[in-house]
Amino acid sequence: MSFFSQPVGVSHFLVVGAVLFVSGVVCMAVKRNALGVLMGIELVLNGANVNFVAFSSPFLRSDNAYALGLDGQLISLFVIVLAAAEAAVALAITLNFYNNHSTVDVDRADELKG
Amino acid sequence: MSFQELIANLQYDTVDVSLSLFRPELAICATIVVMLLARLPRIRIDAFYVALVGSAVALWFAAPWRYLAAGATEAAGPQEIFTGMLIFDGLTVYFRSVLLLFAVLFIVMTRLSGIPDREDGADFYTLILGGTLGMCIMASANHLFTVFLGVEMASVPSYALAGMLKGRRQASEAALKYSVYGAGAAGVMLYGISLLGGALGSVHIPTMVTQLASMPAEALAERQTVLMLGGLMTMVGLAFKLSAVPFHFWCPDVFEGASAEVNAFLSVASKAAALALLLRVAIGFGHLPQQPAVENHVPPAAQAAVTAAQATLVSDAPYSAQEKANDDGLSPTRDYMVGIIALIAAITCTFGNLAAYAQTNIKRLFAYSTIAHAGYMMMPVAAAVALLGRDPPMAEKCVAALAFYVGVYLFMNLAAFAIIAFLRNAMRSEQIADYAGLVRHSPGLVVCFSIILISLIGLPFFSGFIAKYWAFYVLVPAQLIWLLVVGGLNTALSLFYYLRVIKTMTMDPEPADRLPVDFSMISAEGVYVALVSLPIVVLGLWPDPLMRWVDAACRQLVN
Repeated sequence: MSFFSQPVGVSHFLVVGAVLFVSGVVCMAVKRNALGVLMGIELVLNGANVNFVAFSSPFLRSDNAYALGLDGQLISLFVIVLAAAEAAVALAITLNFYNNHSTVDVDRADELKG
Repeated sequence: MSFQELIANLQYDTVDVSLSLFRPELAICATIVVMLLARLPRIRIDAFYVALVGSAVALWFAAPWRYLAAGATEAAGPQEIFTGMLIFDGLTVYFRSVLLLFAVLFIVMTRLSGIPDREDGADFYTLILGGTLGMCIMASANHLFTVFLGVEMASVPSYALAGMLKGRRQASEAALKYSVYGAGAAGVMLYGISLLGGALGSVHIPTMVTQLASMPAEALAERQTVLMLGGLMTMVGLAFKLSAVPFHFWCPDVFEGASAEVNAFLSVASKAAALALLLRVAIGFGHLPQQPAVENHVPPAAQAAVTAAQATLVSDAPYSAQEKANDDGLSPTRDYMVGIIALIAAITCTFGNLAAYAQTNIKRLFAYSTIAHAGYMMMPVAAAVALLGRDPPMAEKCVAALAFYVGVYLFMNLAAFAIIAFLRNAMRSEQIADYAGLVRHSPGLVVCFSIILISLIGLPFFSGFIAKYWAFYVLVPAQLIWLLVVGGLNTALSLFYYLRVIKTMTMDPEPADRLPVDFSMISAEGVYVALVSLPIVVLGLWPDPLMRWVDAACRQLVN
């Protein structure tokens, strides 16, 4: 039975999570705009969140001995809050950078090196 | 278990067991709230005093003298608190005390060096104490979620601290770099944790280890790639906090852009907490917990039933005590961790020492010195994990070596950054070239700085020597001779750039364009520098008290 004809299980969610994670990492690596980089970080965190929720669901797994239980869902709730806090600080820092450099291009952050 | 019982258990666990062991953190939380209230226009108390009193109270509650001293009134046996989210043992007490002692000394230093002005004081100290709170949680983490939470709670205030100097281009750049790298590393780490948790069915470290050790071979083979990948990704987050190569990019830039005070916080407290966290994760995954994970948060009434349940659980377990002593099924995990940690340690300290040569800015030099020292301090961790299966008492000695190193490192780097901050105030420069001929103006300060630098190299008669000797010594029983050789060569390498600073201060002619330096040792700043440098000498000649403490802290780490 191919991956596409199976009933939806953990692995399908893991694929979604992996796609989100990889998109986030690529976004962080290639975006020159600091806001784009921050969006990439959010994607990475949400990729992990999808994993946590999928692992903790009792309906998706056949081998319940290794189910994550409620822990996973609680972690993803906490991570959503943490991501908001982190985004608030990172945006404030970006604004501060803009005030000093008149740009949010991360390639212009090149005065410190060596 | 009925809902009623569940609530009763939770209440017993939280109120009767956990909260009293969590008092230092609670004291910090209270201080933060009081500090925010103290800004109200009616009240207007200087945040400095609130922060100082709050951190001193927290240190009082951490009370290493009660748990670690020879005639300790209360034993610090390992005890899981908050339903297993955190662990309380000697190591928790020790690292928490180190962090809070640092907080007290640091707050005094910031008052003397004047970096948070009265206007910014409350913000600055709130961020410092918030970061310290996260670091205390890192030091006592027992659950991969508290690992992540602690890292984030320590990192997010640090990002803001790095950009604290408003209107400075370099500070804003440093903060941006730090926050982007830090958030990226944390995201990767969280993804790694999700993989580990999914493959092992838990995120509570002792349960995960038990699962890993008792997993049938075919299930293990199926999960091997995921576990290795997850472990590697979790290591990314830890390596970032440790500023270990290849995740060290932020460190020199942030140190150059941020103020010397913030550097002291990042290089001492953040590093100590990151090492404690690395220990928690590495030791946690390297040995099987003695008892099944769920216990001791049960009210005495329900104890009998649980004991019966435990008895069946233990007898069901696929390993007997005899087998466990020889092979607990974790030696591949240990080998994997030793390989990664030892390799990163070797590369990190070599890179740090080589890159430090070309530096002209003293803060940048110390950034690379911090990176190199993170490498040295990871060596005993690798040794501890390698010895966990063979010789647990020796593994505890390795951890004790690290704990001693961290204790000494606190004074060395705090004093160094205090001197850098005071000299910045005195002569408006952080270039090594401007330190030339300083000995003619302020011989006392140069003597202190030389003591610190010699101790950082690890030359005899100062505490840095004992710390480094002990950290290298434990590599021999761990059979990591190659790491010992790398460490020895690196010490020789580091000799030159530390001594160059001493040579500049004592032998070189003064630069003509330097502002006049007026720094007297007979001043609050001078006395502070002398007092913080004093332990470096004292612990070098008389290390026994601290050694006894670290031994006590590590005695029950591996059961």
